[in-house]
Amino acid sequence: MFFYYLDMGWRSIRKTPVLSALMVLAISIGIGITITSLNIYQVMAFNPAAERSDQLHAVQLWSQGPDTWDDYSTIITYQDAMHLRTGAIPRAQAAMFRTGQAIQSDNPDVLPELRSVRVTDSGFFSLFSVPFLHGGAWTEVVDQQPAYEIVIGKAVSQKYFGKVNSVGEVLYLNRKPYQVVGVIDDWNPSPKYYDPTNGSFNDAESLFVPFSLAPVEEFAVWGNTNGWQFEPMVTYGDRLVSEKSWVLFWADLADEQAREDYRAWIQSYIEQQQEMGRFTDTAKADVQLADVAKWLEVNKVLRKDNKILVALSALFLCVCLVNILGLLLTKFLKRAPEVGVRRAIGASRRQIFAQHMVEVTLIGLLGGALGLLWAWGLLHVLTERFHMDDALTRLDATLWFITPSIAMGAALLAGLYPAWVICRTQPSVYLKSQ
Amino acid sequence: MRNIKPIISSLLRSKSGPVLLLTQIVLSVAIVANASFIISERLALIDRPSGIAEAQVLSFRVYNFDPAMDLRKQNQQDQLILRDLPGVIAATSTNMVPLSGSGWGDRYVDGPDPETAKSLPGFSFYMGNEHMLNTFGVKLVEGRNFYPEEIKMGPAAKSQTALITKSIAEAHWGDESPLGKVVYQQDIAITIVGVIERLQGAWVDSSNFEYSVIQAVDFGGAMSSTTYLVRAKPQDIAQLKLDIPKALHLENPNRVIDEFYTVAEHRGHSYSNHELMAALLSVMIVLLLLITSLGLTGMVMFNIQRRTKQIGTRRALGARKADIVWYFLTENYVICAAGAVIGVVAASQLGQQLMNHYSLPQLAWQYPAVTVLGLFVVTTLAVILPARRAADIPPSLATRSV
Repeated sequence: MFFYYLDMGWRSIRKTPVLSALMVLAISIGIGITITSLNIYQVMAFNPAAERSDQLHAVQLWSQGPDTWDDYSTIITYQDAMHLRTGAIPRAQAAMFRTGQAIQSDNPDVLPELRSVRVTDSGFFSLFSVPFLHGGAWTEVVDQQPAYEIVIGKAVSQKYFGKVNSVGEVLYLNRKPYQVVGVIDDWNPSPKYYDPTNGSFNDAESLFVPFSLAPVEEFAVWGNTNGWQFEPMVTYGDRLVSEKSWVLFWADLADEQAREDYRAWIQSYIEQQQEMGRFTDTAKADVQLADVAKWLEVNKVLRKDNKILVALSALFLCVCLVNILGLLLTKFLKRAPEVGVRRAIGASRRQIFAQHMVEVTLIGLLGGALGLLWAWGLLHVLTERFHMDDALTRLDATLWFITPSIAMGAALLAGLYPAWVICRTQPSVYLKSQ
Repeated sequence: MRNIKPIISSLLRSKSGPVLLLTQIVLSVAIVANASFIISERLALIDRPSGIAEAQVLSFRVYNFDPAMDLRKQNQQDQLILRDLPGVIAATSTNMVPLSGSGWGDRYVDGPDPETAKSLPGFSFYMGNEHMLNTFGVKLVEGRNFYPEEIKMGPAAKSQTALITKSIAEAHWGDESPLGKVVYQQDIAITIVGVIERLQGAWVDSSNFEYSVIQAVDFGGAMSSTTYLVRAKPQDIAQLKLDIPKALHLENPNRVIDEFYTVAEHRGHSYSNHELMAALLSVMIVLLLLITSLGLTGMVMFNIQRRTKQIGTRRALGARKADIVWYFLTENYVICAAGAVIGVVAASQLGQQLMNHYSLPQLAWQYPAVTVLGLFVVTTLAVILPARRAADIPPSLATRSV
């Protein structure tokens, strides 16, 4: 019976090509717009930490003086980070910031180039589940006693050493030799949640060096440095002892108990620091542990504009629905005499209803397919025109599934009333007029 | 308009069709009014002048990795090399690039005593030498440029000079001239020697975007990476992108020279989110009007088919062609008028919601008004085509089938 209805639906669509084309067009445009904004929204709202989202916590401290900043800073001072690094409660932890170094190898064919480098602790790799191909992170000893060791990405290894396994080779950063201890696979979480400071959708670094080297090598900070009081930083030493915030700190806290203990431990540190004249905003001096979901919110990874766009495009889809509803009503009522005859020769109301719903679904499916094409085209134009990040405009895999569902759902919703009206056709009226 | 009464009563009897049209118009007015409001707001943001000769100013970064290099000396040397290059009008080191999205922000107070001093508005904090003014191409409206001997080598020197924008002067001193006033950063005293007509900062979405200060500090060489600004005619920029690395590498090869962008390019990047929003919403408006008018045309066409006999009868009884067209137009206008009234209410409701949730400014009344006018035009076009075809129905059709 279903295939019979499908056949009838297809015939009916072909019988009124203009009206049907209008309906398919309307639904496809509605879907196209909705999917486009939904796609951008989904990419931005994505939580890359998945099931680890509520275990990973960024540590934020209210270390500013009274009446300066209104919120917890996303970054903390070096001296606070150094204390947090001594904590024993987290399963893994890492301080970090971004720097840039000129990279060279013994291979004279490759010109030196400037690359961003993540300065961090060995805990970074387990915190963010970084996939190793060869070797591994430097040991925890190196986190305390600086050593020139480096973890690099697959592509860097290929470029400078011509092979994937470059463990044991030497790479030069600003002309200092670093020994490669690990090679990681391509790894690029989007949004770049571990450090969204300089753009939430930037690429992840592919060079990692120990945080303990920072005071030795005086790595420049390629991120934000925030201060709430005037402190001229003439030397790198000034920076290390200043109240300026520029370090990110992450901790892996397994459960509520661990979080409570950790919070208490930091609280006692704050009180101890207050005695030494720091954390002067006594009413508010506190710690905030932001899990990944909260962290993305704090960093405003999802822009307000995206929410507005989704809201407006949902309304847009509503207009399209109403439009289709009108057109369907028009179309079905035109066919009333035919339906009258079918009813007279034995078709039940339910059958008439089902027949029309199948036709509507068919229109929805066609519209959905076309709409997906629109969205794909629109996203491409946007990437070209606005140099948007590829990550933002790639059609998300789930949308291939969601789009036809929305399209058919929308069409069914719009078709409900017209199909109901038509199935209540009184056969006698039309038989009389024949 | 004389037959408006029968039109309304006929509309009231055939409920679903007009109700659908009404809903569509209400939603359209609400969406189009708010979308066009957001668009115009964004375009106004993008249109703000920066005060800078944007297409002429090229920024780039020099990263020195030679440990033996004296960074300060090298910076002075590099600037001399840059100014000697053919096509270069002016060049300076800088700590930040306008409209680039990253930079320095700071604040002055107007007295030496931190207890009593009042704070000036927060500003974008440029550090540059006597060449910076000419490199930006900004206009000095009062006072003078820096003297070469005033330029300090770091931001910590105890006594300094600065140029501020007119916007800061007006915000803090009103009509009073800021020339000669001394402002403070902790124990550093800064004398204001000049006023710049207009110079924007680094962050286009900052509320202090129009407030900028140039302090007489040559920041180059403070760190291993230094940013330079070079001004040249737009047609010379492409050649300079090749000449600059060549000339600087000749001086010392141990550095990476990259990130060549004009300020105009930075502007494009910084505003791309706003442009994207405006573009997407424009697409939405055009498509919405298209769909609404196509849907309307489709429904009118159907109505005409259904009423063929009725129209033929009216024509036979003496109605002119224009009367038939008017009938459909009036029908449309009645629905439109009702839709407009409800639509304007819905638009301001939607505007209210957007204002509450996403802190947009209050919707201005002009937008719903213009939208309604636009809808009248669009729907007229959508109705008039099928209605004229209806007017061509011969009167004989009515008599023939009886």
